[in-house]
Amino acid sequence: MEYEVIIGIEIHCELKTKTKMFSSAPTSFGKTANSCVNEIDLGHPGTMPCVNKTAVEYAIMACTALHLDIDPLVKFDRKNYYYSDLPKGFQITQQFHPIGRNGYVDIEVNGEEKRIRVNRLHMEEDTAKQFHTNSGTMIDYNRAGTPLIEIVSEPDIRNGKEAAAYVEALRSMLYYLGVSDVKMEEGSMRCDVNVSIRPKGQVEFNTKTEIKNLNSISNVQKAIDYEVERQKEIYENGGTVIQETRRFDEESKTTVSMRKKEGNVDYKFFPEPNIFPIQLDLNWVKKIQESIPEMPKVRKQRYIEQYGLSEYDANVLVQTKELSEFFEEVLQHTSHIKMAANWIIGDFTAAMVKSGCSLSENPVKAEYLATLLNMIQDKEISGKQGKEVFEEVFKGKDPKQVVADKGMKQNSDAGALLEMITQVLDEQPQSIQDYANGKDRAVGFLVGQVMKKSKGQANPAMTNQLIVQELKKRIG
Amino acid sequence: MATMLEMMKSNVEKNVSEALKKAQDVQGKLNAVVTFVDPTEQLENYNKNGLMAGVPIVLKDNVCTKGIETTASSGILQGYVPIYNAHIVDRLQAEGAIVIAKSSMDELAMGGTNKTAYTGPVHNPYDLDRISGGSSGGSAALVAAGVVPFAIGSDTGDSVRKPASFCGICGVKPTYGRISRYGIIPYSSSLDHVGYFTRSVRDAAVALEVLAGRDDRDMTSSFEPVPHYLDQVKGNLKGKKLAILKNVVDVIENKEILDCFNKVVEEVKKQGAEVKEVELNEDLMKAMLPTYYLIANCEATANHSNLDGIRFGLQKEAKSCEDVMIASRTEGFGSLIKKRFVIGSYGLFEENQDKLFRKAQKVRRLIVEELKNALDGLDGILAPASGTVAPKIEDQNQDDLSDSYLVAENHMVLGNFSGYPSATIPMGEVGGLPIGLNITCHPFDEGNMFDILRGIELITGLEDKIKEVL
Repeated sequence: MEYEVIIGIEIHCELKTKTKMFSSAPTSFGKTANSCVNEIDLGHPGTMPCVNKTAVEYAIMACTALHLDIDPLVKFDRKNYYYSDLPKGFQITQQFHPIGRNGYVDIEVNGEEKRIRVNRLHMEEDTAKQFHTNSGTMIDYNRAGTPLIEIVSEPDIRNGKEAAAYVEALRSMLYYLGVSDVKMEEGSMRCDVNVSIRPKGQVEFNTKTEIKNLNSISNVQKAIDYEVERQKEIYENGGTVIQETRRFDEESKTTVSMRKKEGNVDYKFFPEPNIFPIQLDLNWVKKIQESIPEMPKVRKQRYIEQYGLSEYDANVLVQTKELSEFFEEVLQHTSHIKMAANWIIGDFTAAMVKSGCSLSENPVKAEYLATLLNMIQDKEISGKQGKEVFEEVFKGKDPKQVVADKGMKQNSDAGALLEMITQVLDEQPQSIQDYANGKDRAVGFLVGQVMKKSKGQANPAMTNQLIVQELKKRIG
Repeated sequence: MATMLEMMKSNVEKNVSEALKKAQDVQGKLNAVVTFVDPTEQLENYNKNGLMAGVPIVLKDNVCTKGIETTASSGILQGYVPIYNAHIVDRLQAEGAIVIAKSSMDELAMGGTNKTAYTGPVHNPYDLDRISGGSSGGSAALVAAGVVPFAIGSDTGDSVRKPASFCGICGVKPTYGRISRYGIIPYSSSLDHVGYFTRSVRDAAVALEVLAGRDDRDMTSSFEPVPHYLDQVKGNLKGKKLAILKNVVDVIENKEILDCFNKVVEEVKKQGAEVKEVELNEDLMKAMLPTYYLIANCEATANHSNLDGIRFGLQKEAKSCEDVMIASRTEGFGSLIKKRFVIGSYGLFEENQDKLFRKAQKVRRLIVEELKNALDGLDGILAPASGTVAPKIEDQNQDDLSDSYLVAENHMVLGNFSGYPSATIPMGEVGGLPIGLNITCHPFDEGNMFDILRGIELITGLEDKIKEVL
């Protein structure tokens, strides 16, 4: 039987604010356990929440990038449940009035565009982190209260590849916005996938399973591919899929059952009484929306149309925000756009890979790389010399200085060159004869002699031109 | 003992040590203190020019005090020592006040008798067999007994204004948002107010200037500027427009209380105030108590979900985190609290919210609308704070569904539903026991409220009335 796959994705994303969603304690990653907490994060009696304005700003940015309608009245609700990682015994979230509704993300799979609708985006706070050891449970409250946005898609995704493309598109947009680190492996972006399948043509949905613990985009695809096959097999064998939460097991590349869903948990949602509804200043919202950075899709299009780059090159450059920003910065100092793109995608990337450093630790000053490109283009040094100079630029050096130190600078002084050429011609009467007899090879030989005399610094193109000119004079 | 304002003119060390000694002397009789606070350090470095310079004060035990155990009179908070000060503690200390004790209360402020305190009932200074009222019963008893001239309470239903009536002192609940609640262990966030007790209206005016004002840690606190309230307290009743809340007067059965109230009102009229009657919708008045219970218990069950034995307070050993929570909560809470949590949880169930929690919110809005209309064109609405004197400790709860109970004993919750300022001052005695008069005014009109109350205080002469406990 042919099946249609129905996938919906919920993404939790930690916002990169300095302080927490409802407290002034610093947010942290990798800090000493329980060092970034105050009485609010610990849920001490008498504490009250205070909304982080930057978190709201970031949420508005994300809403804008995802084309969501923004609710100008921000409200929060309590989600009540007891768990040892939830200090207050409730989580403050936006159940009834999410800040963003009804948007979309365009993805591209196999060269085709597809629109995935986004149902909602809401703000909430993260829980503490638990570590279960043999001697008991350890709780680190550093993460408790970290601002989160949850983005819920409509069930518009049809296969693992689309799911991966959707998550990648979101990841990249949120990263470009600068609102989150979006590191799936570190948990600053977490992805829950709901999967069900139904016979082609069936209108109603079948039972879905939820897959958690997906710590990379490729695992999203692998988990879905496996889960779809698993569900198919169940139906083919006349069984029924049960509603449950499953976990992706990296080693076996399968999904395994975590817990059955026994009916829906009643979270007893009700409006948070300590936060009055906040009326957003529409001018403030507008200002935020106007200031959001260019999204990768738009930027790629601009590279193709405005800079005349190939689609491939444009794609490579926008893949990572830092790379494309480095490119933009280089363009501030040079007008040789294509050359800059080639160098960044080629020599620069190769050097980065070789050195093993990440783009955030990029040792090359954009201005220096641009200078190097300009020097090559202006024939101050040869392309070959350029590669040699780049090795030093990669160590953070100024190419002008490198060229000077190495005495590399091409000699483009016509007078000086002529002097050497005259000397060489005087020494090589045979070559003049050869040239007169129509042997053009002689020019190459003579250029080589001049280069030797100049210790490689003669501008080859100029030397060539001048030799031809002098030869013509001599043979009259 | 003297009022706060008088006390500030005399020897601070002597005042504080006398207050502390008196608190210790009467502790066996009143049982009003949960924790005594050593004032030595505070005395070394207090603001001598503050509005409450050197005044010994008491805090209700739901006010978080850094380094000083704070239990809210609940077993589950045994041993809980806060790592931070409530906003008002910082405010009071900035103005020179000296904390000498944390006072007993109904467990987690849920109750009106102070009989549910983990440390046992508080006794009324006027009759040790009687309650001081609740939930701020310890603070009320200590002010009435002349231990301190000022004490903090909190008021969710009438938890400051009712004990003030039973103990013959002044009890103030200002406008919602006037005083920051940051650091006050909550009961019901939308109804909770910081309140306080004094023995004079003028002291009350000074105290509000100290306590009021925006605090960024409490988003519900108001940006409304804080005036110099004492300037407005003249006590001139001429031209004040007042009304008597007829619903309450009509159902009070105690004739002596009514007589006393009517006498005061007559005198108020004589002083030139206009006094009429207002009547609120009777059904809404009778709906106040169930509406209150639902909202308060629903919010309380969530507010107290943090008391799980994991991070602070009582922790029972068990195999898993979940079992620790269950064991700690089972042992730590009193039975009345558990009952309220069950009611609150029930009201919040998804299938019940429409007919219970959300309905209660709607009724609350109707009641507030009714009060707002009644107050239109008036300076304030007057009523006896209670239809009775302080009940005996051994008395069981009264008939919860009688009109006199539903309306006369619960009308002050109007001030919590609406957030409007409301206060009780003594108006006389019945059988040697104090009775109080309550007023409710427009939001942020506390200055005017104090002015009216000062006028009434001048009529009754009940300023700085102390009941020595021997």
